[in-house]
Amino acid sequence: MSAEHYYCLAILMFLCGTAGLLLRKNIIIVLMAIELMLNSVNLVFVAAAREFNNLDGQVMVFFVITIAACEAAVGLAMVIALFRKFGTLQSEFYRLLRG
Amino acid sequence: MTAPLVFYPLAVLILLVSIMVVSARSAIVSALFLVLDLFLLACVYASLNAHFVAAIQLLVYAGAILVLFLFVIMLLNVDPDTSKRRLRLPETLTLLVALGVFGLIGGQLLPEQLDSVAQVSAPDAPQTSNTTAVGLLLFTSYLWPFELASFLILLAMIASVVIAKKPRKSDSR
Repeated sequence: MSAEHYYCLAILMFLCGTAGLLLRKNIIIVLMAIELMLNSVNLVFVAAAREFNNLDGQVMVFFVITIAACEAAVGLAMVIALFRKFGTLQSEFYRLLRG
Repeated sequence: MTAPLVFYPLAVLILLVSIMVVSARSAIVSALFLVLDLFLLACVYASLNAHFVAAIQLLVYAGAILVLFLFVIMLLNVDPDTSKRRLRLPETLTLLVALGVFGLIGGQLLPEQLDSVAQVSAPDAPQTSNTTAVGLLLFTSYLWPFELASFLILLAMIASVVIAKKPRKSDSR
């Protein structure tokens, strides 16, 4: 399998994540769509590390996973705070900036 | 690289499960599909000889992050999304834009792929194991980013505790 196959798979996964991010209203599912997009980026890193026979890509995946863990923790804390304030997870009811 | 017999079933499964993640009606079903997706991705990493990344993927993603998601979903205990699902104008436009972006990126990739039918020759088996090599790299060239990552995790932990804690009665918020 050439690396382009892996890149195509990663693009399709990224698009699934983008579609979920833009179309879904449930804010937890939006966060999971972001995780999906981060994972597709990881797939590109690993496939490229394999193609160029260079391990730096795998180290980058390690850092991306670290950042993703932090993002999930802070994001879910914000979800809990939003749920306390508005009593719902549907993002169309969040209108703090709309005045 | 991997045999097509391994790659294509994994790729099709990953795409199907990804679509299920973003289209499942209730968040908990979505989270369980995400676990499956991360597991399949770990299989792909293992087939690419990235054993360390595959193990980290299973431990941190499928283990820790998904448990966090499931805890929050069960803590909040909300009903599944029962709103009407119709493709209205903004959604249709979004889909069109997404497909256009895919066409742009895929169009760049496809000619390359047709040209390079000759496959990338599989590299020789590494002398040391993958985990040893990645660990050496992490503790030599990437030592400072590694230490900064630990600091970032500490910051994220404090931030999430501060954000999620109940506001006190005396607070005016």
